[in-house]
Amino acid sequence: MQKIYIAIAVLVTIIGGGACRNLDVPVESQYVASNFPVTTSDYTSLLGTMYANLASNYAITYWRMQELSTDEAILPARDGNFDDGGQYRQMHYHTWTYDHPYVNAIWQWGFGGGITNCNRLIKVISSAKLDSTKKVAFTTEIRAMRALYYFFMMDTYGNVPIYTEYNVNTQPATQTRAKVFEFIESELKAVLPQLPSKTNNSADKNLQYGHPTKGMAYALLAKMYLNAGVYTGTTRYPDAVAMCDSVQSNPNYFLDAKFRDIFLPSNGPQINETIFAVPYDQQIPGNQFTRFGFFYYLASAYGMNVGLSIAMSTTHEFYNRFNLAGDARTKTWLVGPQYYPDGNGGFTNQPVYYPNTTTQIVITPDLILVPPKPMDLGNTITTQSEGIRSIKYYPDVAITQATRLNGNDVPVFRLADVYLMKAEAILRGAPATTVNGVLQTQDWLVTQLRNRAGAPPAVGVTLDTVLDERARELSWEGWRRNDLIRYGQFEVDYPLANDPLSMNKDVSRRLYPIPINEIKLNTNLLQNDGYPKN
Amino acid sequence: MRKHYIFYLLLFTMLSSITSFSQTREGVIKGIVTDESNAPLAGVSVSVKGTSRGTTSNASGAYTIAIERPDEVLVFSLTGAQTQEIKVDGKKVINITLVTAAKQLKDVVVIGYGTANKKDVTGSITSIKSEEFNPGVLTTPAELLQGKVAGLNVTKSGDPNAAPAVVLRGPSTIRTTGGAMEPFYVIDGIPGASIDLLAPADIESIDVLKDASSTAIYGSRAANGVIMITTRHSKPGQTRLTYNAYGAMEEVSKQIKMLTGDQLRAYLAKNNQKLAAADDDGSNTNWQKLLERKGYSQNHNISFGGASANSEYGGSVNYLKNNGILKNTSLERTVVRGYLNQRFFDNRLRLSLAVTNSRTKGNDVVQSSVLPGMLFYLPTVSPFNPDGTYKENYTRTGSGPLNPLSLINNNSIKTDDNKTLINAIVQVDILKGLKYTLSLATQRDEYNYNAYYNSQSGIYVGAGGVAKRNTYVNTSNILESYFNYDMMFGDHSVKLLGGWTYQQDRNNDGFGVGSQGFSNDNLSYNNLYLSNPSTLAQIPFDNTPISVLRLLSFYGRVQYSYKSKYLFQASLRNDGSSAFGINNRWGYFPAVSAGWNITSEDFMKDVPVISSLKLRAGYGVSGNSTGFNAFSSLLIYGTPPGNAKVLYNGNITNAIGLVRNDDPYLKWESTGTVNVGLDFGLWKDRLSGSVDYYIKKTSDLIYDQYPVSATQYVVPTYTANVGKIKNTGVELTLTATVVKTGDFTWKSSINLAHNKNVVEELSNSQFVINYIQTAQLGGKGQSGNYSQIVQNGYALGTFKLWHYVGKDQNGISTYLNSADSVINKQPLTTDMRICGNAQPSLVYGWSNSFFYKGFDLNFLIRGVTGNKILNATLAGLNNPTDSKLQNIPTFTLGESFKDINAYLISDRFLESGSYLRMDNITLGYTYKPHTESVKSLRFYVTGNNLFVITKYRGVDPEVNIGGLTPGIDNQNFYPKTRTYIIGVTASF
Repeated sequence: MQKIYIAIAVLVTIIGGGACRNLDVPVESQYVASNFPVTTSDYTSLLGTMYANLASNYAITYWRMQELSTDEAILPARDGNFDDGGQYRQMHYHTWTYDHPYVNAIWQWGFGGGITNCNRLIKVISSAKLDSTKKVAFTTEIRAMRALYYFFMMDTYGNVPIYTEYNVNTQPATQTRAKVFEFIESELKAVLPQLPSKTNNSADKNLQYGHPTKGMAYALLAKMYLNAGVYTGTTRYPDAVAMCDSVQSNPNYFLDAKFRDIFLPSNGPQINETIFAVPYDQQIPGNQFTRFGFFYYLASAYGMNVGLSIAMSTTHEFYNRFNLAGDARTKTWLVGPQYYPDGNGGFTNQPVYYPNTTTQIVITPDLILVPPKPMDLGNTITTQSEGIRSIKYYPDVAITQATRLNGNDVPVFRLADVYLMKAEAILRGAPATTVNGVLQTQDWLVTQLRNRAGAPPAVGVTLDTVLDERARELSWEGWRRNDLIRYGQFEVDYPLANDPLSMNKDVSRRLYPIPINEIKLNTNLLQNDGYPKN
Repeated sequence: MRKHYIFYLLLFTMLSSITSFSQTREGVIKGIVTDESNAPLAGVSVSVKGTSRGTTSNASGAYTIAIERPDEVLVFSLTGAQTQEIKVDGKKVINITLVTAAKQLKDVVVIGYGTANKKDVTGSITSIKSEEFNPGVLTTPAELLQGKVAGLNVTKSGDPNAAPAVVLRGPSTIRTTGGAMEPFYVIDGIPGASIDLLAPADIESIDVLKDASSTAIYGSRAANGVIMITTRHSKPGQTRLTYNAYGAMEEVSKQIKMLTGDQLRAYLAKNNQKLAAADDDGSNTNWQKLLERKGYSQNHNISFGGASANSEYGGSVNYLKNNGILKNTSLERTVVRGYLNQRFFDNRLRLSLAVTNSRTKGNDVVQSSVLPGMLFYLPTVSPFNPDGTYKENYTRTGSGPLNPLSLINNNSIKTDDNKTLINAIVQVDILKGLKYTLSLATQRDEYNYNAYYNSQSGIYVGAGGVAKRNTYVNTSNILESYFNYDMMFGDHSVKLLGGWTYQQDRNNDGFGVGSQGFSNDNLSYNNLYLSNPSTLAQIPFDNTPISVLRLLSFYGRVQYSYKSKYLFQASLRNDGSSAFGINNRWGYFPAVSAGWNITSEDFMKDVPVISSLKLRAGYGVSGNSTGFNAFSSLLIYGTPPGNAKVLYNGNITNAIGLVRNDDPYLKWESTGTVNVGLDFGLWKDRLSGSVDYYIKKTSDLIYDQYPVSATQYVVPTYTANVGKIKNTGVELTLTATVVKTGDFTWKSSINLAHNKNVVEELSNSQFVINYIQTAQLGGKGQSGNYSQIVQNGYALGTFKLWHYVGKDQNGISTYLNSADSVINKQPLTTDMRICGNAQPSLVYGWSNSFFYKGFDLNFLIRGVTGNKILNATLAGLNNPTDSKLQNIPTFTLGESFKDINAYLISDRFLESGSYLRMDNITLGYTYKPHTESVKSLRFYVTGNNLFVITKYRGVDPEVNIGGLTPGIDNQNFYPKTRTYIIGVTASF
């Protein structure tokens, strides 16, 4: 009897013990290397990460670096609210440090989520089991997006590393801005032949929307050539004109009839002049223009049922550039006594009152600081309405309290910008060219935009006129810093009333610093001039 | 009647004639066997020593046995009782009392995979029996032990649905997911069983294994200590029926004094301020009073069981309803248990089956909005509009802007959790001393979460009612197979253990979804089909994928004792987990310990004052893998942060990319502990106690936010084993029977523990991080600021705050900046300084029990000293400038109205967290009617939290001590309660 017990016990132990040193548990509910990507739509989702990353920071953090550092936008504190460690204040006075949260975030956005991810995707595609046309199409798309990310990094940080392989075994080293420019230019030229062109077929428009096209590559090259003096030291205005003409060679890009339609929450592939945009939606976070840039007490008048922040506005000096009679673009700003909107870009004559009162809301243009808190307006009912608010990205009634997102897509390149770039290049010395039988002079180009906006036509356009027209046409689209640096006006400051602080006017501030955390992690990175090395 | 008499006579004749075939009769002995409480013992084996003659006692404890010679010896034995031998010596009736296991258990501790005599234990183990548990409206084992175990620091709020934070001998990890800082629970030998399956009245004893030499046998999950729970089972030979019930009334023990409506109006008028018209309708609303209530709770427990010669069985039902002191918060739990043990083949085969089912229903409110709202909301408005709807002002800025009464009544969260544990054990005595055990356990947890924010809710305005439902099933299957071999040769005793365990957990099998837009609120969340969402964004799915985790272990242990004088124990465990990197799945966890029972030495016979003295020392390594899921080390594709989607071809679809860098080298955190202890007893153990000194070093700390360069990695953080953290401490426990006279006994026990925690290292050559900033508390104009820091050389929970240096001549708060000058503007983040930490330097408890005739009185005083608490709640409330938008506490009346910095979080609000609390005091009376049916009746009244002595200005100083950011009170503390209980325990 005992022997049987022993035998059974030993048997059980051996069977049990022997069978189980296997710790490989199958993964049922996650995508891991063994089960993803497999199908074409898997690859589409995989490539989707480039666009999800782009949307995540383009319209808030990247935008703030390009706009809060200029006269176009300002986010003052209100009795300590929105002091937030000084992040907005440092943008305004150009006193950012190498560990400013945006400096860190946009580097991570452009490199980690952007360029490093694109390099990885290229590697995954090259070893994927796909037919060669799809491989070429995907690789082209990734390289074009990577070039766009490199452009943002070159424009923001200047001297950045260039690397294309994945895994990255040697830490990439800093290259000069000119070298980065060359790299981007060569990449774009290499992929141009394979990029698709915009057609007038709505199925194609849907497919291409938000994705790189030939038009986008030409527009990006135009932007780079226009700024080549800043980026490389050598100007290339005729090349800029050539690229603008290449964009226009596709007749499917033309100006939309109404300016405000370009920026409505319902904007999308049906907008004709959009060359490349970042799509946003209630499920695609990253656009909070209404949350930060609208006026809190007007929310219900515009059909919204949420609490907003009383935050961002423009300066009155910037607003004063909207000085053309009949210009529809002036109506993208809210200033003075407020009335209910008529749903069509205009206003009724029904005043909007503060809740439970009969006091009409009046927005005043001047920002009057209240010391001692820095860049602080105080938080009384009167001071809350200081600052001209924007409704360019028209308030989205689908906004929810939980996320406070807008669904308005944000354009990166549009035809109006191409016209203005060509006009400026001509004024800076490039010869004017003929397109579709019309000699496009700078006056002609600017007048197209004036006509569309309902403003008087342009005569005797100068460089300064073009800068102001860029201000009126492209306000809050993320190009102001780029424009002011090119014009040498990035250091012009418009002091606020009672302001004890002043702007850091050192020209080295035209480049943002490399984040100090990255310099510590990657010892081959070099800090930009004018910033502490450690 | 006559028929029966004849029958028995015939039977007796038959029986005696049968026995007369086998032996000649000298006489017959009879008697009754009872236990020490005079209850009859059935199944007691009564045999004649040296012969094969024997019988067993019947249900009334009676036996009859034939004797051949007058010098024979009767042997009385029963499993779990001390065997007794009585010489016959001519007696005809021998009644005897056997000391049953109940008495012996006092000296038995439960160690991993077995029990041991307290004398033979070489590790640091504290045993608490059920009579020493804390009374109260309690659900978890930690609450039963609070203040009674040196080294165990338990903090809990008054939330009926929240488990307490439990830290044993200091925090030894910086992860908090999945209970990574909590001790490991073993229930009736089942490792990792859920404590929700326990009803406190069903627990017999709890043993806390504190040092590695005791816990290493549980290897990979035991770095934070092991709490072994033994539930009540019938003793062999007893039938029992117990009914336990109590009713309790709880009220809030302290409120923060906020201004009344009139006081606020007067304050504003004095400072030339006026409320907006929408914010003043002449009311005086006391929101704390409106939202709080007296919570009435009750608990009923029926426990019964019995035993026959070769089986024990029993069951219990426990029902608890705990109504919290915030309206609409409550917990209802029903636990049903049943077990059966049966022995076959001469007790060589033991089969056991136990089934436990626990159903918990919870009711909760949105605490993150309710707790601050209760304080901040203006007292100058009524909760209701004249038409009866809830009065809200969504345009009012400031903190706590939503009507708190509406928050409680219009947003409900209901959870329903059903846990079932089935355990089957097969034990075989193979040879003398060699025993084999096979245990199979399966635990199934079905969890349902339902929330409905109705159409009036201020959290989702205009959404027409938002419903969320999710349901998940977690199953855990555990198989344990091990051998025990006990042998004695001469004065040497050796006990061997060897075995293996297989465990597979499958978690999160289920899904969750929400919707909104109901045409009316009457259906609540019961029918999602009838919702009317207008976009896909209104139907969010939960992102909780199924995960399967497998754990395999092989273990062995040897315990050696020489004359119970010299003790030695060694164990080794080899654990593997599928959670770790493919290169590092297996870990080895050894332990060794030794003990010396000094009082067993001859030279100690000259010192009779010292009745017991044992020196013990041990070293062991335990691992920590709690909180890791099956995917921790893999390369995972998923949706980007925020579940961001993309627009592709006109449709909104998921983007799927890398969400975490994979780490094939990820492995266990391991904790090595050295423990040296001395157990002593004086005057025949009238005074006894123990002192322990330990050093606990954890290395390979896992931190998942090591930064990597964006030029090399897509995801900016990397999870790696790098850091080191150390806890050193001393524990002292003293127990004394101060007075023992005929009728009166006074026992007193004190425990003190001091632990010093320090983070030793956060970096290595590959991953460097100089500090980790934690505790982003928000607050006006302070979003993004950190309040605590994890840094080399400092404890976990170290505060880094602005340094407040008083008010300037205008009454404005001033601070010292990093250049040591005094500024009256809001400082920068670089001006923060390290200023104390949340870890206590001493945790103590003092319990006293008095017995006089049938009365018993006992009370527990416990407390902590040396810790600091950040009163961020008071900081946030202290905002004179915003007093038109939100209420202020009476504290703020002493502030200058011009103080624009009053609300800034700084070390001005870092307060001492020391406290002394009268945790519980109970007066009971036990009545033992000497009847067959009723064994004893005990009535008692208990008061919990009768008073607390502290300088802390917040609601209560027992602020959360667990997690990465202990010691912070940030408008999230569910108020603690004062409880009055009346109860009865009846044994039949």
